[in-house]
Amino acid sequence: MASAGASFLRSASLRLALAFAALFVFCSSLLVGALWWTTSGYLDRETNAVIAAEANALADQSRAVGLPGLVDAVRRRIAESRDDKAIYLLADPALRPLVGNLAAWPLQVGRAEGWWEADVERNGALRRARLVHFVLPGSLQLLVGRDIQDRVEVRQAILEALVWAGALAVLIGAVAGLVFRRLVLARIAAIGATAGAIMRGDLRQRVPTAGSGDEFDALAGTINDMLAQIERLIDGVRNVSNAIAHDLRTPLAETRGRLEDLLRHRPAPDAAFAEVEEAVADIDRLIGTFNALLRLAEIDSGVRRAGFVRVDLGDVVRSVGDLYAPAAEARGVRFAGAANVSVAVDGDPSLLAQAIGNLVDNAVKYAPSGGQVTLGLALDGDAVRVVVRDDGPGIPDADKPKVVARFYRGDASRSAPGVGLGLSLVAAVAALHGGRLELADAHPGLAASLVLPRRSVADSPA
Amino acid sequence: MKILLIEDNARVAQFVLKGLREGGHVADHAATGRDGLFMASSERYDAIILDRMLPGGVDGLTIVSALRAAGDRTPVMILSALSDVDERIRGLKAGGDDYLTKPFAFGELAARLDALARRAQAVSAQTALAVGDLRMDLLKREVTRAGAAIELQPREFKLLEYLMRHSGQVVTRTMLLENVWDYHFDPQTNVIDVHISNLRRKIDAPPNKPLLKTIRNAGYMLNADG
Repeated sequence: MASAGASFLRSASLRLALAFAALFVFCSSLLVGALWWTTSGYLDRETNAVIAAEANALADQSRAVGLPGLVDAVRRRIAESRDDKAIYLLADPALRPLVGNLAAWPLQVGRAEGWWEADVERNGALRRARLVHFVLPGSLQLLVGRDIQDRVEVRQAILEALVWAGALAVLIGAVAGLVFRRLVLARIAAIGATAGAIMRGDLRQRVPTAGSGDEFDALAGTINDMLAQIERLIDGVRNVSNAIAHDLRTPLAETRGRLEDLLRHRPAPDAAFAEVEEAVADIDRLIGTFNALLRLAEIDSGVRRAGFVRVDLGDVVRSVGDLYAPAAEARGVRFAGAANVSVAVDGDPSLLAQAIGNLVDNAVKYAPSGGQVTLGLALDGDAVRVVVRDDGPGIPDADKPKVVARFYRGDASRSAPGVGLGLSLVAAVAALHGGRLELADAHPGLAASLVLPRRSVADSPA
Repeated sequence: MKILLIEDNARVAQFVLKGLREGGHVADHAATGRDGLFMASSERYDAIILDRMLPGGVDGLTIVSALRAAGDRTPVMILSALSDVDERIRGLKAGGDDYLTKPFAFGELAARLDALARRAQAVSAQTALAVGDLRMDLLKREVTRAGAAIELQPREFKLLEYLMRHSGQVVTRTMLLENVWDYHFDPQTNVIDVHISNLRRKIDAPPNKPLLKTIRNAGYMLNADG
């Protein structure tokens, strides 16, 4: 229970709510306080000025006309007082009232001259009054003042209202904090639960989204994208492990067998060197496979994106066609490459060349002797397609997803050279560039398209 | 040539040193970065072969940067097990002239080393190249063999230019791919061989004596004699 309470207090959302409530109270107090001191202070000064003016006038009159005149003057002023707020009292030296609108000398006002704030009895009720006390010649005591009970009451009411408003603010803040806390906690708990499940090994978990498109949804979306990327990388690692197990061990076993055989039988030098040469060639192929795997891992990691530049895909296609055309013709395959357009994409020119090269290389390998391979470039909406067509056996629909998988080689290709990473690399390069690899039937043969997003016209330099 | 090898792996060092000495070069060896930097800065070498990762605090890139900062322009070939494009660029930016990924064939290393040393010597811009009676005019972009004009595609011209600039040297397929096509990947099939045989059909057509030779297990060489 204690720990539950402690965690409740530690909750960031609750602290935030309380802090907001406190800030709210502080700000409103400051505002009301400033208003209060300016308006109330102004009224106080006005009152003091009025009282002082009247008292001085009466004091002057007493000096001019003496006691009888002063009594008349006080009576007249009481009669003329319009708002019944003015207070006058003239008393003898023993403080017995001579004339005025107070029944008795207020107890709180002593004998000393000066300003007073005291409770006076008026019309049978105690009321607050602001008073000034003069001692006139002949020890006559003059008290002039104003009833300020109304202002005191207003002040009291405002103070009470402030206290209530403050309490309400704290209450609203706390309730809002609790609601906020519940809402936020629910979303955060969902993210935490997903992360926990992933740590336990279930990489397919995703953070649920509320569909409201708020910041939490945006965060969930980003986290989900990150998780998808992690899952792909982990899959990649898993694939590479499988690939190493199957496709690197097998040739290693062959090479090892070849060398061990050589040790055991010790053939004549010529035959031995021929075997060693074969072994070196085997190892070179292994290094090739190894390099291809490393290259794939590098592409999958996305670090190559940092080196993206503006690339004219037309140039890349022409250059690749130029590299592969003679090899195709040497195999008796007609090669037609046409790319007399300029299309700008953001990318890594070397990787794009390698990917397109792999597509052409594949097509040339599978095209029958006397067949034809075409390499073309076509705009397709916001995208651009590099299409490589051959008239070979094609790929059955069921196998199309598999050929992109690492190390997969269809039955038809068992005898063809290569390590079975060509199309995986094309798919990885396409993904790196935000595009895709499409495999379609060319009736007959295969039409492989590397589809890439075009660089938008807006951000290409004029 | 006098060559310095800075390599900590004893087996690789022995293999490279043996190959260099058999090829008629004088080869010194340093096993740590500190020794290597000391030898490289205190003696004159025609080329330095340098492992990227060395023990003892001074790594390969530090050595290249230190030499370049001291104004030493000796050609440097960087050897590395790191094959990432980034690593390659970092090596070249530090001042390396070429970058070779381990494991490598000795033939590849020797050919690239020759090309490096040659590049360091040939400073003046040439306007014409000649190998035997094969001539290339770089300004008019014309090629003749024994006076007869030869029609070449632009890429074939570039290929022949590279071979002529490195005449008498072994040029590997990878070097051609990197320098003529600017590609740094394995094209899977023997595409370069086919380009070479097309070029050979044009420049070595009978009755001319063949100039463009295939060097087994290494690459090609354009050579007037023999």
